[in-house]
Amino acid sequence: MSLKSSPVLVLLVALSSAALQAQSAVVYGTVTSAQGSPLPNANVELVGTALGSVTDRAGNYRMSGAPTGRVVVSARFIGYLPAFDTMTVVADDSVRVDFVLTPSVTQVDDVVVTLPPTIVTAAKRSQLLDQAVTSVAVVSDTDLARRAVNTVDEAVDKAPGVQFLNGQVNIRGSTGYVQGLGSRVLLLVDGVPANQGDRGGINWDLVPLEDVQRVEVVKGTGSSLYGSSALGGVVNVITRDLAAGWHARVRASGGAYANPPYAVWRFRDYTGGHEGLDVTGSYGTDRVRGGLTAGGWHSDGYREQDRQNHWQGSAKGVWLPRPATRVTASGSWASDQSETPLIWCSSGGCDDRGQAYQPFMIDTTGRGRFTRSDKGYVTALVERTASERLAWQARASWLRTSFTDLHQGADDFGVANRLGAELRGTTRPAAGRVVTVGAEVARSDVRTNIFTGDTSTTSGVIRTHTQGDFAAYGESEQLFGRARITAGARVDYSAVDGGGLSAVVSPRLGGVLATSRGAWRASVGRGFRAPSLAERFVSTTVAPFRVIPNPSLRPETAWSVELGNATRVSAALHSDVAVFWTEAYDLIEPGVNGSSIQFRNLTRARLAGLDVALTAQPPVPRLTMALAYTFLYARALARDSVPGAPLAFRPKHLLTLSADYRWRAVSVGGDFRYASRFERVELYPDDARLAGKVLDLRAAVEQGPLSVRCRLANALNYIYSQVPRTLAPVRTLSVTLTWTY
Amino acid sequence: MSTRARAATAIALATALACNQGLEPALTPTSCPRDFVGVCGTVSFVGQVPESTAKVFVVAFDTFPRSQNDLFKFKPQLNPAILPLGGPPFFYTLPLPPGRYEWVLAVWQKQGALSPTNADTLLRETGFYRDAGDTTPHGSGIVIVNAGTSTDSIDFVVDFNSMHRVCDYFPPCP
Repeated sequence: MSLKSSPVLVLLVALSSAALQAQSAVVYGTVTSAQGSPLPNANVELVGTALGSVTDRAGNYRMSGAPTGRVVVSARFIGYLPAFDTMTVVADDSVRVDFVLTPSVTQVDDVVVTLPPTIVTAAKRSQLLDQAVTSVAVVSDTDLARRAVNTVDEAVDKAPGVQFLNGQVNIRGSTGYVQGLGSRVLLLVDGVPANQGDRGGINWDLVPLEDVQRVEVVKGTGSSLYGSSALGGVVNVITRDLAAGWHARVRASGGAYANPPYAVWRFRDYTGGHEGLDVTGSYGTDRVRGGLTAGGWHSDGYREQDRQNHWQGSAKGVWLPRPATRVTASGSWASDQSETPLIWCSSGGCDDRGQAYQPFMIDTTGRGRFTRSDKGYVTALVERTASERLAWQARASWLRTSFTDLHQGADDFGVANRLGAELRGTTRPAAGRVVTVGAEVARSDVRTNIFTGDTSTTSGVIRTHTQGDFAAYGESEQLFGRARITAGARVDYSAVDGGGLSAVVSPRLGGVLATSRGAWRASVGRGFRAPSLAERFVSTTVAPFRVIPNPSLRPETAWSVELGNATRVSAALHSDVAVFWTEAYDLIEPGVNGSSIQFRNLTRARLAGLDVALTAQPPVPRLTMALAYTFLYARALARDSVPGAPLAFRPKHLLTLSADYRWRAVSVGGDFRYASRFERVELYPDDARLAGKVLDLRAAVEQGPLSVRCRLANALNYIYSQVPRTLAPVRTLSVTLTWTY
Repeated sequence: MSTRARAATAIALATALACNQGLEPALTPTSCPRDFVGVCGTVSFVGQVPESTAKVFVVAFDTFPRSQNDLFKFKPQLNPAILPLGGPPFFYTLPLPPGRYEWVLAVWQKQGALSPTNADTLLRETGFYRDAGDTTPHGSGIVIVNAGTSTDSIDFVVDFNSMHRVCDYFPPCP
């Protein structure tokens, strides 16, 4: 049978031809400010499709291949409220949609800003924020620019319910502090899993901040769609779209760290500084677009043995071969060479000058430690909106991380790869119903001399371990009047070193009800985290103990329930309140047994609490304020002869107050973060424990293509520590100059 | 000053006051700190510190070790008190749970990757608390830590010229 005569091929050609004929509409227009000035580089999207565009220097945009029927078009630009328009598009038609954006902080005394509808991708498809069944916090490009931060973690740190402990993210107290081995939060970059293949931790500098459009923080278990590591939540970093025409951005930053506030703590005779430079350039046509970012920074650090050099590069290319089809290839690479300040020096551990501890100095046993860390990923994504009812995407990705820790006696290294692929479809089979199905495969490997699984004490052993994962998932949403009900599940199979398959099923049921008192949401779901290869196979010495492997570790699991409400309390006040309850089983923790330490499934825990986020425009012109508060009850339950106790490194109260004031081109603002004293810590329980109380201030001037932003982090130079004998960042001044073409 | 300005000033003042009680310098104690549970004392140093020294630390054993297997039953397990490498007498604090301890000692550790199998090579006893009134083996003094209190004056000498391998206590040495 020849191909030409194949009835299947004929049918496919006919179907695709029909689909193409039905998708030839063009949506075009302009995006301007309220004063009529064109806004170049604004993002315009057809919500729920792969179609998008960026305005040129005259503020014009054009999207060809728009699907027929009812579509929603959105326009966004830094510093402005997003705008949306809904229209019906007819085949072969050209529809003009012009947007006039208003600043995100109103400049008119009597006008109350209405919170914009926000698009999130928590359900692996675009949906409005108030349609998500779980809590989602969004850090927009406006927030990123306003905070003048340098890395993604700095930007996410002040999000409601989120706390970082020495680079380790906690969402509602999920992870605590486990020194990077196994995060209970999953990092996605444009939907691609990006946790390290060996340690399961997160490299927050994997993506240059210049490339980040927004960050979505999904709270609570997300394993029903995302699988392992989404036990406590998901952080999805969405990178910028590329604009048509030539575009460039140069971002230079510099600053200084405060010296120790007491002379007896001085450890160097100069003021430490940091400086960096990033350059981004892109060019695009209607069919092909590409962009490059390169840069780096140096930091002297704020304490002894804390210098760091960072280099990064990223690239993104987009090809629009036909209407409603988008092919994206992107990648990023970052390299760090950093001194490693381990625990600070306590009496006798250094030139202590008669002090019980020296928080800016390190213990002599940690002298000379140095880490080289390289990480990068490449990914290819094909997205197609095949019809009004069907969209699909396929992606492949490769994440590579490597590290070398240089220290006395021996060096540790690990080189890990994670190859992944996913096929996903979203269909609307009937009115009010959306079904998402997909399958994922991944293969991780690590070649290392520390995660070897070697049970002897022989030095110099180098081994390779592999892990294969396969998953299938599906979720359906049905609209019943004002209620949306969502049900779905994911099954994950995993095999380590070619061994037998283990399976975990993660179901979730949720719903959203729109009422006159806001949108109510409820969900119940199961999450899990598979042990990392590092936890299974770590074999090293933490003097005087031998850390021995445990290949039979099982996944951690948890059931999580949430009930929330998002509502406009008054014309000037918006609230989002949620109560949550998580029952966690078999949490993996290190246990001491005689002369050895081993990771084991030890802890049965309960985490429950309340999340409150308020956004207000008080009766002061040009001022916005926000409050985020999380109450957390986190307790390890009694087991065998071990009594129950608070989970370590979890604050009971986490409060963030923010205020921003804008007048024409000038804006000032600040955040105050309070994290209550930990009820329990590990390693050094007798050390003084303090609450975290940090005030960040900021100011900016924007004039045409230039902006200058100042940030004074920890403005009151509050000296404190939240992880064992590790000084938290001191007062740091940063000045960032950005030029955009 | 308007009501609004007064409110803003009050908020700024409250914030500043809330943030001014961070860590502060603290002198090395010369007696057991209040609310401290464990033992404290002064260590004096004798002899030349070997160049290959990694660190010297203080730990305690409930019972005097009777075999190599008992060597890792010391307390505290994860954060022993680190001693300076020589110099003037040094006051140490060693957090310990309440109980009876038969051996409070200083351990010298040689540079290198330590494991249970090379402990004989890399670890040395370099001094311990003695009490002539006690009758425990090797002349070590018994120390009692009561609940909620500390035991002071557990003083001893670290002699870098007279260090003993672990196998000295469990002969024969290889």
